[in-house]
Amino acid sequence: MLERYLTGASTYAHSIDHLFLLIAALVGFWLIVAEIALFWLSFKFRRKQGRPTQYVTGEEKHLARWVTIPHLLVIVCDIVILVPALIVWFNIKQTNPPIEQTVRVFGQQWAWSFQQPGPDGILDTADDIRTVGELHVTVNTTYRFELRSRDVVHSFAVPSFRLKQDALPGRTISGWFRPNRVGTYDIQCTQICGIGHALMAGRVIVETPQEHAAWLIRASNPALAERESPPASATGASIVAEVRR
Amino acid sequence: MLANLTVVPKVAPRRFALWTLLISFGGLGLSGCRLGPTDAATRGKELFETCVPCHQPDGSGSPVLGAPNIAGMKEWYVEKQLEKFRDGIRGTHFSDVEGMRMRPMALSLPTDEDVKAVAHYVESLPPVRHASSLPGDPRAGAALYATCSACHGPNGAGNQDLGAPRIGGIDDWYLATQLRKFKRGVRGADSRDFDARLMRPMALTLADDDAVRNVVAYIGTLRP
Repeated sequence: MLERYLTGASTYAHSIDHLFLLIAALVGFWLIVAEIALFWLSFKFRRKQGRPTQYVTGEEKHLARWVTIPHLLVIVCDIVILVPALIVWFNIKQTNPPIEQTVRVFGQQWAWSFQQPGPDGILDTADDIRTVGELHVTVNTTYRFELRSRDVVHSFAVPSFRLKQDALPGRTISGWFRPNRVGTYDIQCTQICGIGHALMAGRVIVETPQEHAAWLIRASNPALAERESPPASATGASIVAEVRR
Repeated sequence: MLANLTVVPKVAPRRFALWTLLISFGGLGLSGCRLGPTDAATRGKELFETCVPCHQPDGSGSPVLGAPNIAGMKEWYVEKQLEKFRDGIRGTHFSDVEGMRMRPMALSLPTDEDVKAVAHYVESLPPVRHASSLPGDPRAGAALYATCSACHGPNGAGNQDLGAPRIGGIDDWYLATQLRKFKRGVRGADSRDFDARLMRPMALTLADDDAVRNVVAYIGTLRP
């Protein structure tokens, strides 16, 4: 249902959506019930000529029920939310599926930059590819990300992946995602990080294996890329153009 | 007074509601309009508020934030650099930490007129000179500066026709940082950055960091 409004492009997007809907439905239902009760009681016991104001202590059984029954319902609802929430947490945060690729993500005032393996497939070698504002990944591949901050606290968020993770200076925080839909998706910073926070945007480009192989050749051979077109990965020109629109 | 107010809806409730709606939506519409000053000088000063946290109210910059002293920089140069940041030609290299910080600031200027206005305001700021902060031998730097003087002029005043900015009076830490960036390809690597592509081989003629500090020390003696 939420996919109608925001594309789900990772394997765990649907489980986050189900959890979100469960919480929204439960909380929404009780919000409406509570508001109806509040307005009904306010109207029923409104000020009337000749009716004195009552001091209610809430000790009598028929009055205490208005407190105890909602409390019990809140506890039951908490459990109904907590069980699936813990299952989702365990599946995404505590379970690491077999990793196929690793990418390093850097947050800094006010840009996202990425380091990923070049043609040798190994990180931290001479052919590593470094990009600013654009992360290129292959569809149906499990990525481990190592998130770092170069200055202050940032938050790496890819709404279409239903992924959000804080980046803390001095720490490397890792996680994973497996994109399952080809396309271009937004990266945002979701932690106020200074005057340029609102413009700290980026793109994840999920490609087919053939497209990704072609990008890999272009990105690891700047001269070739320059002959074909301006180096989009190095400039983030598309992002700039979009922000300016 | 209160009685009068309560009478209004009774007299013409529909008209009252209509006017309330019109005024509310009119106000909302106006709030979305730019009601700021229209003359370039005042507009430039207003826009410069965004630059103040890093470049300081007098434009003298902040070495801690890597923000250069821009007070009195020529309008054409400031405008050109802002356009480069806006177009992603500068501030998009993986290792250009300060440039990446500057890019969103340039993007926050909505129009080309605004870029011009803020550049005009920067030029109007009285130049500020700071004492040198790096060790270096100006006598050794004088010989190295011969290459630079072809474009930047013998007194470092710059040359608009060659796209060369004024470098005399610019802080030594900033000049040294930029020279190192040119040498490493952090600046001058983008094929669309013509001026910087010309500058890069010039920076590469400086053999080592001592040479960088020496030439910067010499530039510090220039009075454009």
